[in-house]
Amino acid sequence: MKKFAAVLLAVAMVFSLCSISASAAGKYAGIMLGTNVMSLDTNLATDGDSFEVIADCIDGLTQMDADGAAVPALAESWDISDDGMTWTFHLRDAKWSNGDPVTANDFAFAWKLAMTANVEYGYMFDSSVGCVKNADAILYDGADPDTLGVTAADDKTLVVELEAPVSFFASLMYFPTFYPLNEAFYSSLDEGTYGTSPYTFLSNGAYLLEDYTPGAASFTLVKNPDYWDAGRVNIEGLKYQVVGSSDNALTAFRSGTLDLVSVSGSQVPAAQADEKLASNIKVTGAGYMWYLSFSQTEANANGGQLANANLRLAITNAIDRESLVENYVMDGSIPTFTCVPPQFAASATTGEDFSADQTRFADVCSYDVEKAQAYLAAAKTELGADEFTFTMIYGNNEGDEVSKVAQAIKEEVEANLPGVTLNLQAMSKAERLDKMQNDNYDVALTRWGPDYADPMTYLGMWITDNANNYGFWSNADYDQLIKDCTTGAYVTDYDARWAALYEAETLVMNDAVIAPLYTKSQANLIADRFSGIEFHPVALNRVYKNATLG
Amino acid sequence: MKRYVIKRVLSALLTLLLITFLLFLLVRIMPGNPFPSERMTAEAIEKKRAEMGLNDPILVQFFHYMSKVLKGDFGKGTSLYYGAPIHTVLKKCLSNSFKIGGIAILLGTFVGLLLGIVAALNRDRFWDVFCSVFSILGVCVPAYVFLIFLQYTFSYKLTLLPYFFDSTDFLRSTIIPSVSMSLFTMSTVARFTRNEMVEVSDSDYVLLAEAKGMYGAKLITRHVLRNALIPVVTVLAPLVVDLLTGALVVEKIYGIQGIGKLMVDAISGEGIDYNYVLALGILYSAMYIGIMLVVDLLYGLLDPRIRISAKGGDNG
Repeated sequence: MKKFAAVLLAVAMVFSLCSISASAAGKYAGIMLGTNVMSLDTNLATDGDSFEVIADCIDGLTQMDADGAAVPALAESWDISDDGMTWTFHLRDAKWSNGDPVTANDFAFAWKLAMTANVEYGYMFDSSVGCVKNADAILYDGADPDTLGVTAADDKTLVVELEAPVSFFASLMYFPTFYPLNEAFYSSLDEGTYGTSPYTFLSNGAYLLEDYTPGAASFTLVKNPDYWDAGRVNIEGLKYQVVGSSDNALTAFRSGTLDLVSVSGSQVPAAQADEKLASNIKVTGAGYMWYLSFSQTEANANGGQLANANLRLAITNAIDRESLVENYVMDGSIPTFTCVPPQFAASATTGEDFSADQTRFADVCSYDVEKAQAYLAAAKTELGADEFTFTMIYGNNEGDEVSKVAQAIKEEVEANLPGVTLNLQAMSKAERLDKMQNDNYDVALTRWGPDYADPMTYLGMWITDNANNYGFWSNADYDQLIKDCTTGAYVTDYDARWAALYEAETLVMNDAVIAPLYTKSQANLIADRFSGIEFHPVALNRVYKNATLG
Repeated sequence: MKRYVIKRVLSALLTLLLITFLLFLLVRIMPGNPFPSERMTAEAIEKKRAEMGLNDPILVQFFHYMSKVLKGDFGKGTSLYYGAPIHTVLKKCLSNSFKIGGIAILLGTFVGLLLGIVAALNRDRFWDVFCSVFSILGVCVPAYVFLIFLQYTFSYKLTLLPYFFDSTDFLRSTIIPSVSMSLFTMSTVARFTRNEMVEVSDSDYVLLAEAKGMYGAKLITRHVLRNALIPVVTVLAPLVVDLLTGALVVEKIYGIQGIGKLMVDAISGEGIDYNYVLALGILYSAMYIGIMLVVDLLYGLLDPRIRISAKGGDNG
């Protein structure tokens, strides 16, 4: 009898343990991350997932509103000098999670630190983007970081001096590279330990880090009761879960474990057909533009045949982008015919999307087999060759759809351009980048995501000697136009600058420096109880400050 | 015996050193850039390479690396978890893998032994057939398939257990990965125990013991099981390392921050992380070599002939 009672008791205990699971989802939002957080140090983080978690916990001078416009965050207000060269930010009362007040020096310290380390986003300060005074001299000529044009006039006043007016400077301030760091706290830590645990990380934002270690497959953020805008934050906590496979994510979503997951394009039709999921699908702009990069140097394979613009134009016009998006990407991505993709940069004066008109370059970039063959005929005459063989490289770890897209491009190019053979070579993204950076390729299927809401985040790439000018294209007129737009004649005249940017884009498109393909969207599944998530194609892809959990 | 031990330990250390050098070499000759960055200038990448000493001759690089490793410093990730020292990340991952792997070993060994004994005692009857079928299934079907089955059944359908590993709910989170990881061990141990027990049962000394009137549990535990277990322990040794080092895919699917997942992350990210792959390679090799060393030394203790041959004696 005793034995029977013991067994009964054991069974009861097991079931009581199991029953806890029903409330697991509870008051925390379960959110999928596609990859591990690489770093919570603003100077070391380089990926969208890391930026998202950092921004959950730390506020910058400004933050994004639902439309992506910069609105006050730690800066209550700011003044801009008449010449647009001096920005004075007035900080509000806010606290770090160790109780210290957030001061202007926290910004000055963080920005100067970004100048000393090998910070990938350090270029955001330089004359191509932020134009912060002396950033170029410090970053590229070894000047003293203390000479950076940022000063804490007092605890609540931060003065930033620029080398040229930057119309979108306020929107740069919500990018994590411009976030503050508590100097005393940061300096008290052992090297390399900042941001590696809740004890070595300070928040001043909506959420606090509850548990986290580098490489954590799951971790939790809890609401910060001392956040300056705590009243606005509705959700008690965010429970992040790294899920590598979208199939696993989909099942986790169905089980109620996760409230927000990203799914691949190939899963969208099935989800749409499932009445339980159809209403939960939300397609958001992820901002990345996929394009073909052509190596245009003489040293390139086949005697640099791709240096011939007509040959590049032939390939550009032989690809059916609508078909790529509908049949292979399948997640609502947008066929793209401009080298600045749509839906991320709007004019400050008219509000119009810079690339709303996708037919602007129809003469040189569209799906038109006849035109493509005419370009090819011209190329054959100019090059004195009838057959061309190129290899297109692409990453095999850059998304489920990439290999299908590569295959489709190969088939279209070879079918529409007689005499052109496009071989495919798959490799890791690191290897692809290495080959492109060293001009050891013919054609590459690659992508670029906007860092800030201005066409320059794309157009800045094609100036001579830019690290991302993988085609090694060079055009003196183009370089001058871009210079005029960043530090020269057009910086004070917004509309003239906007027009000059179109002019620059025309040069890139007419020369088929790249072949734009599509602007990637992201298909998400969002639980009914989870609403108010703000999705953005730039800087911070997902923001939860205004979200609610029903 | 002393000489035998010294010889074995030295050869194990040499093997580890050679493997480390080989790994070091392979990682260095891999295509691609250790710093897969789209935004860093060529100069910045070059500066990073120089900082990491990648421009030095390979032997110099190896010497510098080993002098750090001997102090327990594996450096920092090149493309994974920037900034954090690798040994701190490893510590956390090892702890999770060891806990879950440990439970899987205990579960696998205990149930496997039980199943093997029951099968041997019921030769050619239901339990024997069941054991055979179970063993074949357990060995053939990968742990992650069991994991997906258990995850689907108990987490998704029945919602009894967490869908992903949750360190704040360790006990319940451990059930699915431990059970799925233990099945291979369970099957292997059951099969070996059953076969060895059957073989030992037919031996002369068991016959003699029976003739002397020994039977039942006493005969099984004193003579049959004791002798049958020696080969089982040998099979178990590498299985222990397998489980402790984490099941790569199981950890990845169930979201366990263990060294198996770390290895997958290190090789499947945007680029292969030189330092993580090396550190994990060394760790895996050290564990295998260590456990093999222990087995070798145990053999030496159990079987004097091995010690004698190590002395260079006549092997016959």
